[in-house]
Amino acid sequence: MRKPDLSIEFCGVRFPNPFVLAAAPPTDSAEMIARGFDAGWGGAVVKTLGLEHVEVNLVSPMMAGLAYEDKNLIGLENIDLISNRHLPEVLQEVSELKKRYQEQVLIVSMMAGTEDEWKEITRRVQEAGADMIECSFSCPHGMPERGMGSAVGQDAALTYERAKWVVEAASVPVLIKLTPNVTDIRPIAQKVKEAGAAGITCINTLKGLLGFDLDTFAPIPDVGGKSTAGGYSGPAIKPIALRFVSDVAKDVGIPVAGVGGVVTWRDAAEFLLAGAGIVQVCTAVMRYGYDIVEELIEGLGYYLEEKGLGTPADLVGRGLPNVVSHEALSRDYKVVASIDGDLCVGCGACIVACRDGGHQAIEFPEDAAGTGNERIPGVDEEKCIGCGFCRTVCPVTGCILMKERESEA
Amino acid sequence: MSDRTAGSGALVEFDRTYAPHEAVLEASRCLMCEDPPCNRGCPAGVDARRFIRKIRFGNFLGASRLVREANLLVGVCGRLCPQEILCMEHCTRAELDTPIDIAGLQRFAGDVELGTLAPLPEVADERSQRVAVLGSGPGGLAAAVELRKAGYQVDVLERSGTPGGLLTRGVPPFRLERSFAESELEYAKRLGANVLPGRGDEDPARLLRSGYDAVLVAVGLWKPYTIGLPGEDLEGVHVAGDILAVVADGGRPDLGRRVVVIGGGNVAIDAATTALRLGAERVDLCCLESHDEMPAFRSEIETAQAEGVEFHTRTIPVAITGEGGKVVGYEGIGIRWKEPGLLVPSNAERIPGTEFRLGADAVIEAIGQGVADRYEGVETDERGLVAAEPETMATSRAGVFACGDVTSGGATVVQAVAEGKRAAEGIDRYLRSLGDSASGGGDGR
Ligand SMILES: Cc1cc2nc3c(=O)[nH]c(=O)nc-3n(C[C@H](O)[C@H](O)[C@H](O)COP(=O)(O)OP(=O)(O)OC[C@H]3O[C@@H](n4cnc5c(N)ncnc54)[C@H](O)[C@@H]3O)c2cc1C
Ligand SMILES: Cc1cc2nc3c(=O)[nH]c(=O)nc-3n(C[C@H](O)[C@H](O)[C@H](O)COP(=O)(O)O)c2cc1C
Ligand code: SF4
Repeated sequence: MRKPDLSIEFCGVRFPNPFVLAAAPPTDSAEMIARGFDAGWGGAVVKTLGLEHVEVNLVSPMMAGLAYEDKNLIGLENIDLISNRHLPEVLQEVSELKKRYQEQVLIVSMMAGTEDEWKEITRRVQEAGADMIECSFSCPHGMPERGMGSAVGQDAALTYERAKWVVEAASVPVLIKLTPNVTDIRPIAQKVKEAGAAGITCINTLKGLLGFDLDTFAPIPDVGGKSTAGGYSGPAIKPIALRFVSDVAKDVGIPVAGVGGVVTWRDAAEFLLAGAGIVQVCTAVMRYGYDIVEELIEGLGYYLEEKGLGTPADLVGRGLPNVVSHEALSRDYKVVASIDGDLCVGCGACIVACRDGGHQAIEFPEDAAGTGNERIPGVDEEKCIGCGFCRTVCPVTGCILMKERESEA
Repeated sequence: MSDRTAGSGALVEFDRTYAPHEAVLEASRCLMCEDPPCNRGCPAGVDARRFIRKIRFGNFLGASRLVREANLLVGVCGRLCPQEILCMEHCTRAELDTPIDIAGLQRFAGDVELGTLAPLPEVADERSQRVAVLGSGPGGLAAAVELRKAGYQVDVLERSGTPGGLLTRGVPPFRLERSFAESELEYAKRLGANVLPGRGDEDPARLLRSGYDAVLVAVGLWKPYTIGLPGEDLEGVHVAGDILAVVADGGRPDLGRRVVVIGGGNVAIDAATTALRLGAERVDLCCLESHDEMPAFRSEIETAQAEGVEFHTRTIPVAITGEGGKVVGYEGIGIRWKEPGLLVPSNAERIPGTEFRLGADAVIEAIGQGVADRYEGVETDERGLVAAEPETMATSRAGVFACGDVTSGGATVVQAVAEGKRAAEGIDRYLRSLGDSASGGGDGR
């Protein structure tokens, strides 16, 4: 219907929009990527490739979802490996895709072992026509046991060394995809910067164990009675991803491709505010199809228009100055819970939450019999410390507000 | 969600629409089916799955605009469509629990831009050809919008002083706030459709001769049928259309305490529920059909029942009785069908001993409407309905097209919209076949 200009420059490359398919099953063949581009994605990271001699021996099943109440996929766990496709074949497809789609950005993800191998795959990927390269130092399962994937990204020295090999061999911008399975990503990201890479992609999946089957005692996904910790992705990991993106963008100062849990344009806008220059998506695409990019594009476009902002670049990093240390937070700013009696449906969930999870500050009124307000809770402002938990359990948007207290000056 | 209270006297009752988070919650129940069956249920071609997805992922403006692209009457159809027999009837989710509330979500989408000026779709290069649309109801307006999008110069000639057709002069305001029809009419005007009220005496042939390149007849059905009962000329006997038009215009006619409505369609139901709101203490609805045979929408019948309308189904009127020139009662008798399935008075056999009498201060006849005018060279069927070719809506006269109730004999808003869109395509194809004269200039409108 309408086409807002969402184009953005990232690491010197112009993307028609900041929405990019992450390295994962949706980018495992040219046919799939082409459908993604046709749907409107601004770029794609081809699923991680290895050299011919690297054996990729997949297991099945390799995925399971975390169901929570009425949602059957708030998080996805996978023990997939890098692409099991033959390198020359995929590189041939990359060349053909590049001929067909000039505007969209094609990034190729890759993984290797030795210096020679890294340099060889870099050269071959580039020759195929990749616009950018993404090195996976981050797969948390399978590959680390062989000294690759997150085994690299968890070690600042290894990260520096391998990043440098690729940068030396590359003539296109290099992204290093880092793992969140570290205590502090910043020293590692710093090394990526020193090695001369153009940017960092974060995060890859979080290492997790999805659950157990209570009849067979087998972990999930159950591979013939056994399983292993895998990579956790999807909406559940968004807050963690935002944290890593903002850490890198703020404290290291290198371009970031944000990824982890993006579903809606709002999520994407938040990544931009946290400092991401482009936003990658995997699980949501697997779940809902390539078409959801239509909602990302339109939604972000309408938002920018409404805010009077020009392009997505105007959002990048705009939230970072407001991310500060705990120490730096104001102690003068105090809020108190306030319940809107007109909106309240009278469930009393806030009472339970405050009683057992807070400070016993909310109760049904004692003297309201016969007024019709019997089930509209009241807040004892003396007891309320303004923690905000009641608001999170209220089923009605806007019913509980945290109002600023008059300062006691 | 609906919160109607009969007898409250309120003539404007608002259906509450979803709050944004409620809409997202409902939309997230959508299974996002491949080859979604809901979409096949919409005559106007609204892509239900897609607009529901837009709501789910927080793209509310996108949802509003997508629906409006396909059906300018977003808000109207969100309220009036019998969606339980259209999109929602086919919803896969019903296999799990209950269908997605597509009607409610469409209402939400329509309300997103209510009160603001929804941005207009792109208009193709202006073309100089002129099209006259007779009638500004749903059919005429839908066609006018599509014709404007294609670049034609469009005049909508409307007989009444109040444009909008049955949306502004038929459907009771407690089912459809007038502001919807008005804002949707405004949209057509902003797009450049020239709506001219008070122009009811035009004939297509004459319009063609006077410089229009095509004419669309979308005049609806505005000649009320009457039964010809003894006592029909008494004071207090009305046709439904008259009462509903007065009420739609803000009037509150006094019908008395006891009202009898004759008819089994939506108009009869609306007349009955309107009578309740006008203060009637008892409303009896008498119709030929059984409950299951009544042509009215199920949801409307249920509402009327819940509001206390008394139904006398499978009965036929005998007489209206009066005193001093005024209605005092109604007489009817039970029937059975001589031949099953043929629901017309001539097929009704009266059952002796089932005679009944009802006291009445007013009797409202709601047995249907017919075509009010005939047009030179335009073929009609035995009921006077304009015969139109279903693909293009072309009539027997070259350059004259028809859509909506005047061809269907009375259907739904969404069907009129669907036919209006098809007619616009038919007109476009016809005018292009005459030789392309896209001038880029038009006459500047
Ligand atoms: C009481 C009532 C309740 C209804 N409820 C529903 C419902 O809940 N859901 C639903 O989907 N449908 C409902 N309908 C049906 C729906 O309103 C119609 O199917 C729809 O309005 C048909 O649209 P139209 O454009 O063909 O005709 P109309 O809406 O009848 O519009 C025709 C217009 O043409 C004008 N006109 C007539 N003659 C001429 C002339 N010679 N020159 C110029 N203009 C002329 C008329 O004044 C009118 O404005 C209801 C109908 C009624 C009467
Ligand atoms: C099944 C599956 C396979 C994946 N394979 C790869 C891969 O080959 N290379 C890679 O860098 N990341 C891979 N990822 C990680 C994603 O690219 C992405 O970083 C992660 O899923 C978080 O984003 P999301 O929440 O949008 O899914 C994979 C993820 C999933 C779910
Ligand atoms: S049929 Fe129902 S569940 Fe399926 S896409 Fe349509 S609305 Fe959603």
